[in-house]
Amino acid sequence: MFGFLLGEALRDLRRAGRVAVSAVVLITLSLAALGGFWMLSANLGRAVSQWRDRVRIIVYLKRDPADVEGVLRRVREWPEVASAAFVGRAEALSSLKRVLGKDAGIVDQLAANPLQSSIEVRPSAAGATPEGARALIERLATLPETEEVSGGIEWVERLAQWQRLLAMVGLGVGSLLALAAILTVTTSTTLVLHARRHETEIMRLVGAPEVAIRLPLLLQGMIQGLLGALIAMGLLAAAYRAAAPWFAPLLERLVGLPEVAFLAAPAVVALIAAGAVLGALGGLLALRPAGHGGAR
Amino acid sequence: MTPAAIIDAVVMIELHRVCKVYHVGPVSIPALSDVSFSLAKGEFAVLTGPSGAGKTTLLRLLYRDDVPSEGEVHVLGQDLRTLGGRRVAALRRSLGVVFQDAKLLPGRTVYENIAFVLRVTGTPRRQITARAFDALRAVGLSARAQAYPAQLSQGEAQRAALARAIVRKPALLLADEPTGNLDGDMAAEVLDVIKDVWQGGTTVLFATHQAPLAAELGRRTLTLLGGRLVKDEG
Repeated sequence: MFGFLLGEALRDLRRAGRVAVSAVVLITLSLAALGGFWMLSANLGRAVSQWRDRVRIIVYLKRDPADVEGVLRRVREWPEVASAAFVGRAEALSSLKRVLGKDAGIVDQLAANPLQSSIEVRPSAAGATPEGARALIERLATLPETEEVSGGIEWVERLAQWQRLLAMVGLGVGSLLALAAILTVTTSTTLVLHARRHETEIMRLVGAPEVAIRLPLLLQGMIQGLLGALIAMGLLAAAYRAAAPWFAPLLERLVGLPEVAFLAAPAVVALIAAGAVLGALGGLLALRPAGHGGAR
Repeated sequence: MTPAAIIDAVVMIELHRVCKVYHVGPVSIPALSDVSFSLAKGEFAVLTGPSGAGKTTLLRLLYRDDVPSEGEVHVLGQDLRTLGGRRVAALRRSLGVVFQDAKLLPGRTVYENIAFVLRVTGTPRRQITARAFDALRAVGLSARAQAYPAQLSQGEAQRAALARAIVRKPALLLADEPTGNLDGDMAAEVLDVIKDVWQGGTTVLFATHQAPLAAELGRRTLTLLGGRLVKDEG
């Protein structure tokens, strides 16, 4: 019987005509907007977590401490510290030369090594929040060996804020369009209900089960939703293919992300399911008043 | 309700002191007053009376399209006052109903109109064609199976509606003025089909405002007048 009811749903879709097409277009737009922002936000999220892992706080020391291991042991015991490594003056100079590359000769002209020894601290998860990092910096500054502390994660947090903002904007725009889509599916289902009134009358008269009466209406809503979702995913994939090669270098320069990723498979499945749910909701809304009548 | 329970029901219809009042704003319009009668299994009864006598209201109570304001209605052994949605559907699957207006679905062929009923009531797919054509043969319309309702004469349309009503082999056929729109020959054809259905074992309640037709049928006749059952004879 399901095959027959599915056939009835497709017949109903043809009856709904342009309104059904409008509903599919709106679902496509809402899910494409949601998916697009989701993709941007997910990529920024990857950049944020990548940068969080790379965050270092540098403690410049007044002089090379006599007991380097003792200082490191004390610092490593703090819960907001994941690891700590000593960088001696000579090692710092070598690093500088590596950074300067072909201009490293400048360093050789210096009369003496001007660099200070330091401790490079990698914060733990507790120390990688803005508050945690601030507290860690303050604590490191109280060490008697400390000359100066530099570093912070404010800019990473700003990136994270942008990521959250993008996700919120995506959710907001997507939700508004989704609402419009639900109302359009409701309208198309109401039209179908009207066009289908003779069938419904006969079905009730011959004792068709309620599910056989309502399922085609629900299915046609779900088909609109699924169709919209699949088109949205197709459009997103096409846009990704076309735009990713252009955006990748920009994102790498801006946030150090080597490649732009498409939505993960669970996200694609979730968006397609969301399309079906939107369509079903629209269908259900149109069916709701009929539900008060009960069996006639 | 199980098919066995329907077969076992000896009294197919039983009304006890049934009243139906419609309320239109502050105005109350009595449609049926104190109607009582019963119909046994295998009977063919004619329900007659002028337009507005309450025939359609009474039939609507019998297929549970409406409920009485007072009194009891039992159909196929079921008390319709207490019947829930699923059991109403189950009851209707044991009934056949035809109207003055054939109520065929215009976008479907005659065959599809009949198969539609079988499909939506869960008949196995492999049985549908055979059963639909059995019903079409019974009403003499198998040659018009692929015609659309707009291509049928009024008599053919009514016979197609009858095929739809009997395709599930109902225990009880309720006919609400099925010959009301038909001329003499067409009406006779439809009546012949209904008689065949009755002879096949289906109980029939046939409503008509045409008194001569009721007399010609020579069956038990229930006469309604102003919502009251004024005569039960034959």
